Amino acid sequence: MPSMKDIRKKVSSTKNTQQITKAMKMVSAAKLRRAQNAIINARPYAYKLHSVISRLAMSGEFNHPLMAQIPEPKKLLLVVCTSDRGLCGAFNGGVIKFTEKFYRENKSKYEVINFIFVGKKGAEYFKKRDVRTVETMINLVNEIRYELAAKLADRLMNEFTAGGYDEVILVYNEFKSAISQKVVAEKLLPIQPLNKEETINAEEEDIKESINAFAGSNYIFEPEAEVILRQLLPKHFAIQTYRCMLESIAGEHGARMTAMDSATRNAGQMIKRLTLTYNKLRQAAITKELVEIVSGAEALK
Amino acid sequence: MLKLSLVTPSKKLLTDLVVEDLFVPAYRGELDILAGHAPLMSTLGTGVLRYKTQGSGSYEKVAISWGYLEVLHDRVTVLAETAETAGEIDLNRAREAKANAEKELLRADLEQHEFEKYQLKLNRSIVRIGLGGNDDMGAAAERTLKH
Repeated sequence: MPSMKDIRKKVSSTKNTQQITKAMKMVSAAKLRRAQNAIINARPYAYKLHSVISRLAMSGEFNHPLMAQIPEPKKLLLVVCTSDRGLCGAFNGGVIKFTEKFYRENKSKYEVINFIFVGKKGAEYFKKRDVRTVETMINLVNEIRYELAAKLADRLMNEFTAGGYDEVILVYNEFKSAISQKVVAEKLLPIQPLNKEETINAEEEDIKESINAFAGSNYIFEPEAEVILRQLLPKHFAIQTYRCMLESIAGEHGARMTAMDSATRNAGQMIKRLTLTYNKLRQAAITKELVEIVSGAEALK
Repeated sequence: MLKLSLVTPSKKLLTDLVVEDLFVPAYRGELDILAGHAPLMSTLGTGVLRYKTQGSGSYEKVAISWGYLEVLHDRVTVLAETAETAGEIDLNRAREAKANAEKELLRADLEQHEFEKYQLKLNRSIVRIGLGGNDDMGAAAERTLKH
């Protein structure tokens, strides 16, 4: 049986913890909003770039190293996106578990699987495991800037073209909503040929006109369409990488917000329970004292 | 009537802004785009994009680095990797970048891709200084870039 003093101490320490988790939740909520805005802001650019590439790719047969499909990929570069900090529920655990499973299942399929880690948590976990790490990027700032993503994208493209990798797959948390993230593995390279029907269905009316203008070769290209495409593809890849990183960041804040919310709630419950026990103990003590006094008085009669 | 949209990865700067006249640093040199332009696709280099809104007497200037331009039915879409107005430019940083790039370019053991990288850096910093600094320097920078 804990003493009353013990319980008082425990209540006050739980209250402190609750305050911290509450503050963390609030901070995460604010950061989440910013991250969401960043995703929304990046969308028009990604969308427009995507539409241009689709239309350009449709207008002719183009070959580009970033688009080269290899029938039986042998060398794989796996990019694992986690967060730098913990206390965000199953956010990192999900990615790590997924990556391990993926690694186990595909080890025999590929000759080489190398890793790049973005974020400290994943890097730390796999450091103890037997995997080949090409690079780790840690101490990411809270807001991913496009320049940073572009740098990673450059690196990946170099690895892909010069390092002889056949595929680049990125594992990250896709941001569904503030309370749910989904771990996905996305094949970043080679860039998949874009589907004609999809593009037409997804785009606005003037895109169709543009396709017609393409067909009638009314467009002036400066430089040639192929050169434009060659310049656009790396940019497309960079923006894809940027988008994935943004999703991961938004997911991290969302996960932390939810985790901290339930932590705050649990602390509240715990305080309630402890207070109840404390009050019961206090009542018992008072009753005991009363009984002692009364029986003492009784004995004196 | 020409409608201009300017988009970067981090923000949408302009959406369907009605402009009279637009100058862009295109692949083969500066292009002047007016209403009724034929459908066009071009890549943009590092430089200053200028536009005059309807009825305004002066040009608004935006420094852009790599970008892409599409003109279709009097709608101009510019995708730029970075876009900064004069007020947003950090002059000191640009000057530092310029000095650094100049120093690197003087190295003897420079490889081709490094040379290109620093050349681009130098261009970017010159454009930034030109737009962010005073007008003399701006004119000088534009002259330098044309050569």
